[in-house]
Amino acid sequence: MEATPTNHTQYREEKLTFGKWLWNIWKGMSTALKGMGITFKYVYGVKPVTIEYPEVREELPANSRHRLYNDVQNCISCYQCATACPVDCIYIAAERRDKDAPPLKTDGGQAIKLDLHQYTIDTALCCYCGLCTTVCPTECLTHTTDYEFASYTLDQMKYDYMTPELKQWRDRIVK
Amino acid sequence: MADTNLETKWIGDGADLEKIKSDLLTLNMGPQHPATHGVLRVEIQTDSEIVATARPHLGYLHRCMEKHSENLEFRQVIPYVDRMDYLAAMNMEHGYCLTVEKMLDVEIPRRAEYIRVMVAELQRVASHLMFFGVYAIDLGAFSPFLYAFQDREQILRIFEELSGARLLYNYIWIGGVWNDMTDDHLRRIGALVDDIEEKMKKYHALVGENHIFVGRTSNVGIMDKDYCYQYGGTGAVLRGAGVDWDLRKKRPYSIYEEFDFDVPVGEGTKGTLGDAWDRYWVRVREINESIKIIRQCLEGIEEGPIMGKVKKILKLPEGEVYMRTECPRGELGYHLISDGGKTPYRLKVKSSCFTHTSMLPEVAEGQMIADFVATIGSIDIVLGEVDR
Amino acid sequence: MHSEWVSKINAAVSGANAEHVAAGEFGDDTVFVAPEKILDVCKFLYSAEGLEFNVLQVITGCDYQDRIEVSYILASFINNLELILKVKLPKASKDATPEIESVCSVWKAANFQERECYDMVGVIFKNHPDLRRLLCPQDWEGWPLRKDYQVQKEYAGMEVYPAHKINTADIYFGEKLKSSAADPKKFSYSWKKPEFYPEGAQPTTETTTEGE
Repeated sequence: MEATPTNHTQYREEKLTFGKWLWNIWKGMSTALKGMGITFKYVYGVKPVTIEYPEVREELPANSRHRLYNDVQNCISCYQCATACPVDCIYIAAERRDKDAPPLKTDGGQAIKLDLHQYTIDTALCCYCGLCTTVCPTECLTHTTDYEFASYTLDQMKYDYMTPELKQWRDRIVK
Repeated sequence: MADTNLETKWIGDGADLEKIKSDLLTLNMGPQHPATHGVLRVEIQTDSEIVATARPHLGYLHRCMEKHSENLEFRQVIPYVDRMDYLAAMNMEHGYCLTVEKMLDVEIPRRAEYIRVMVAELQRVASHLMFFGVYAIDLGAFSPFLYAFQDREQILRIFEELSGARLLYNYIWIGGVWNDMTDDHLRRIGALVDDIEEKMKKYHALVGENHIFVGRTSNVGIMDKDYCYQYGGTGAVLRGAGVDWDLRKKRPYSIYEEFDFDVPVGEGTKGTLGDAWDRYWVRVREINESIKIIRQCLEGIEEGPIMGKVKKILKLPEGEVYMRTECPRGELGYHLISDGGKTPYRLKVKSSCFTHTSMLPEVAEGQMIADFVATIGSIDIVLGEVDR
Repeated sequence: MHSEWVSKINAAVSGANAEHVAAGEFGDDTVFVAPEKILDVCKFLYSAEGLEFNVLQVITGCDYQDRIEVSYILASFINNLELILKVKLPKASKDATPEIESVCSVWKAANFQERECYDMVGVIFKNHPDLRRLLCPQDWEGWPLRKDYQVQKEYAGMEVYPAHKINTADIYFGEKLKSSAADPKKFSYSWKKPEFYPEGAQPTTETTTEGE
């Protein structure tokens, strides 16, 4: 292509004969039909690549990293998740158990030596990097595949996992 | 660079230029301009349709990543480097992990190296597909964007199953990778690259050879070899200027020296060497080269562990290191200064997008505004990496 | 390789005082030169036979107690070389801005790199064509990448870190628990108060709000 943009629209001068006139009509009709054929093929024949979101939900992979959930019954308050978190969004407070108190164990069989008083995650700060879940020794802190948790205020993004409401949320949404 | 005869070219020889010349008009392009790929603001002074001066204003996406990383442990920096170039996060992680590993006595298992190269190349394909679609949108064609996203989505789907996230993976770790690839993944990647290779031929015929596209991009935004060297342009910008320079060949890192692939360079097919079309054409051919590497990975991948032996509390020896890797948008360099502690003392990121943005003012002079949009699109900047 | 370059620099530029600092077990070698001669050294490295560092990769600064070290990372795309060139700029006081000659006349890439270095570490480059802040706003105060940097209290009429916007209820929950308990030794919590928090951020009495 030359550098000048002038020769894009140059028309040849041709004489219109009767045969050409007929040929033009045929060509116009046939190409229109061809185009409509492609359109109808896509209307009926081709599977759509998009999904109709609120009705149809995509099945996410099992290890998708979305809203965090902590099963506080199995938490041994080791603070490893809070240390690993790059944005410091996990707040834990715990109290050492009395020696004569009845021994508690996690589902995995580890002894619980601290009573958990607070386990709060500020989800608005969370960057979903997954570092906290990989260091968890009892695997009580997990990412769920639930991704719809928009809320109206920032305060609602703070999840206190000690409350029973959150347990219900877990049972309702994540199977 | 600037074509000084543009005025006569567009207005015609006969016109009295002095009479129709108007005052310079200051025009803000961005920060919310669809053609600036995010939040780049360019203050341009225009003489009617012709750009007289252009001044990029950066910093709208500045997140103090370098300051943050001074207070984070080496492993915790990885989620932050993801967020620099969010369209090529795997390559960002790969570069950072290689930088830290250069200071450590750690052996990376072969399987992890293969997986790293594979995901980095897949990410390069995804990033170039994104460029392909977005560049077409910049120039007014909408449907190539949808085609490109359809294929990119399949790559992201594989990444999501591997790492759990679609864009910001935190997948490549210091010493190896996080999750292992299953045989099912390998089979699907094999089928996917076959599919993309076949489709790219169709897409290129649809866009690259299109008369309007060629008219909009050829002889536009010419950056020749010396201009690239002066400004430090790398990646597809440098290769588009006809320089055979690819770090994967010239200074091989990871296991790239074992693979057989070509480095596509611009040839000035549709206009001048180093114009926007050449950069587009280099990127489209790079997709095929990446696919070549992925195929060799699929053949050569070995069984074994995916994590090397790295201490739980990571401390780097005192010293400094500079590591360059080839990312989809150009060379990415990490300059890491360590004082022997648990955190980097200073981490400086050499971003290719930043360098390419600094090339804009000179190339813009004397261009039409519409051509300037084509130039910005062709250098393919991501503002997250420019501002960091 | 580096020691050979150092002798070349010293022979070509008098007073450059180039000094080769070998890396430890891992890492890269560096070359220190005198700050007054940086422009001459760069001009020499740009055109010297066998070196030809034709690409400037990075100009960056690193803040230490008494000095600022400015690194010039150069690369040669002709001979495939790489060099970390450094200068030590002594810092008189905490907020002092040391000066050095700009290398914009050698590589045009230095323009933006020096502006970023000025913006972030506060090194003034003499004879720079357009030395303004690049990433921060023009009226920003202080040099963010210095180690003793403090965020300004107020910017453009807005308070930085306003006390009422800080999540105090969760952060001070552990402290509150500890102070009200009979045996404070038993309590532990994960959160420490960062230094940049303002004085007004006191523990609030309200409890944490639940999700959903």
